Amino acid sequence: MPNHTIVQIEHVTKTYLQGKVEVHAVKDLTLEIPNGDFSALCGPSGSGKTTVLNMIGGLDIPTQGKVVLEGHDLSTLSRAALSTLRRDRIGFVFQAYNLIPVMTAYENAEFVLKLQGVNNREIQDRVMKILKEVGLEALAHRRPDEMSGGQQQRVAITRAIATHPAIVLADEPTANVDSQTAESLLDLMQELNEEEGVTFLFSTHDPRVMDRARRLIRLHDGQLEKDEVRD
Amino acid sequence: MKIRTLAWRNLWRRKRRTFITAFSIGFGVMLAVTFTGAGDYGDNNMINAGARMGWGHVTIAPRGYTQTPSLDKRLSHASEIRLAVLNLPEVSGAIVRIMGQAMFVSARKTVGGMFLAIDPSQESSEQNLFLSAIIEGEVFPNTNGRGVVIGYKMAEKLGLKLRKKLVYTTTDVHGEIVSEIARVSGIFKTGVDEVDGAMVLFPIDTIRQTLNYQSDEATIVAITIDDQRDALQQRDAIAKQIQNKSREVLSWQKTQPDLAGIIAIDRAGNVISQALVGLLIAAGIFNTLLMGVIERTKEFGVMLAIGMSPLTLFKLVLGESLFLAIVGLIVGVIITTPWYIYLHHVGIDFTGAIGDDYNAGGVLIDPIFKIKLYKESLSGILIALFSLTLFSGLYPAWRAAGVPPVESLKTA
Repeated sequence: MPNHTIVQIEHVTKTYLQGKVEVHAVKDLTLEIPNGDFSALCGPSGSGKTTVLNMIGGLDIPTQGKVVLEGHDLSTLSRAALSTLRRDRIGFVFQAYNLIPVMTAYENAEFVLKLQGVNNREIQDRVMKILKEVGLEALAHRRPDEMSGGQQQRVAITRAIATHPAIVLADEPTANVDSQTAESLLDLMQELNEEEGVTFLFSTHDPRVMDRARRLIRLHDGQLEKDEVRD
Repeated sequence: MKIRTLAWRNLWRRKRRTFITAFSIGFGVMLAVTFTGAGDYGDNNMINAGARMGWGHVTIAPRGYTQTPSLDKRLSHASEIRLAVLNLPEVSGAIVRIMGQAMFVSARKTVGGMFLAIDPSQESSEQNLFLSAIIEGEVFPNTNGRGVVIGYKMAEKLGLKLRKKLVYTTTDVHGEIVSEIARVSGIFKTGVDEVDGAMVLFPIDTIRQTLNYQSDEATIVAITIDDQRDALQQRDAIAKQIQNKSREVLSWQKTQPDLAGIIAIDRAGNVISQALVGLLIAAGIFNTLLMGVIERTKEFGVMLAIGMSPLTLFKLVLGESLFLAIVGLIVGVIITTPWYIYLHHVGIDFTGAIGDDYNAGGVLIDPIFKIKLYKESLSGILIALFSLTLFSGLYPAWRAAGVPPVESLKTA
């Protein structure tokens, strides 16, 4: 697998206004995420993890500096172009799963593929293959409220990787599940990373995720404290 | 999953709310059908009754006759005109008539009034309201042309009964005062006091003799058409058919301006009241859709985050309002159909409240409230409510599409 850079973060600062007070969520952050990475942004609450994840996902724009995803400077893209980029190149996994409640597991998993206009046969092949891999083949026709938190998160992971994204951004993916489910979800994501080459970037303060990550990017008060690559 | 499937499922997330909104749209259909149906039925009846009282839906008259009626203004070759008009496809009847004013004298009293001279062989009770309103006697039996039919109020004023004599005085074609004797052969009651107290029907040949008209002269040819709504169109077609500078062809709006005014005001009132009802319904629909959007702010943020375009999201919410409109209209048709059938065939009797002689513009109003809806009115209502529902969904859809994902993901 060629080891090229997917995400470049160059001197990024993000400042919010909280009332009349300026809050520096991220300060002068520079970072690169290469293809096939399995990294975790970690740090205490308020350290800027989610803000960084949101800026990489094009959901938020830096106050200064730039975020480049596969050669696209995200701050120069229109809302529609950003939405296309997210649809085609980024997978999102959220802490609260955020599945669409009126859709079954299968329909949630195929949702983005449908938006991409992929044909039905290919959608079925891809989605059923992944649902089988994540152990949800039998629950494909269940709705979110008929599944456990862990099962819902597996559906969310299926939705995120079914499109073959350049990167999966996972915001506290294990925060709402029990320990056993968390381990099993991490097994799944690690397997997808190692066997399918899916790039993962986590935002977490869960030690289990940090243990598994091959790279730990520690943030403190919005600044890079330590970028540690582990073998 | 297709966007329309998702929109449909989203609509049923809050079943009770969707049903309530669908019923409010349905209720809107019912109200609109009732208002419009009452208007269509009432207007149609009034216009047809007005036409049957003398002028027809379309009238051929000597030029200037309707502005300044005078018995020296007359049509020649009236029968030829009548036959020419009868050939037109939508014309259901054409009747030669003479209208004028006269003084009517009995042994007891003198009363000013109007006369309508008709040819009974051309007239039927469907075309002539007075013939269907006869309460005593009959139309011009063997009275040697001297029989007349008078309104019951006039009979009361003059102290006349059947077979009693009356003298009428008018001016003839040369402006000379002429008087003749007639005998009451029938009495009618339309319920409109102004008419029942002033109108007398004569045989047309008798009046021609009295007025010194030629045998084929008359003041008007009153034309009835299959559908009064086509009056203006038929007026133009008839004018083309009988082109002549000495005559004019007028629709009922010109010959009965009082009635036209009442109907115009009634229609305007109807439009305003329906617009207000529509506004209330739109507010309900708007509220439902907007609440649905606000409740799902986070979900929309997720959809945008995972790659749905704002335009697709806009279409999704608009699709929900489209389905809501369809469901609402179906509910409307279901609840309105039995209501319509009842009001159309049976109606509600308001005789106790308004009596049986309520009139407007000189035309009797049926005290039984009935409705009749024209096809174009029905499609107008359905299109208007459908558009209203879709329109109400525009802002919520726009708002959903404008959800900033990063902010909405933070919402609970």
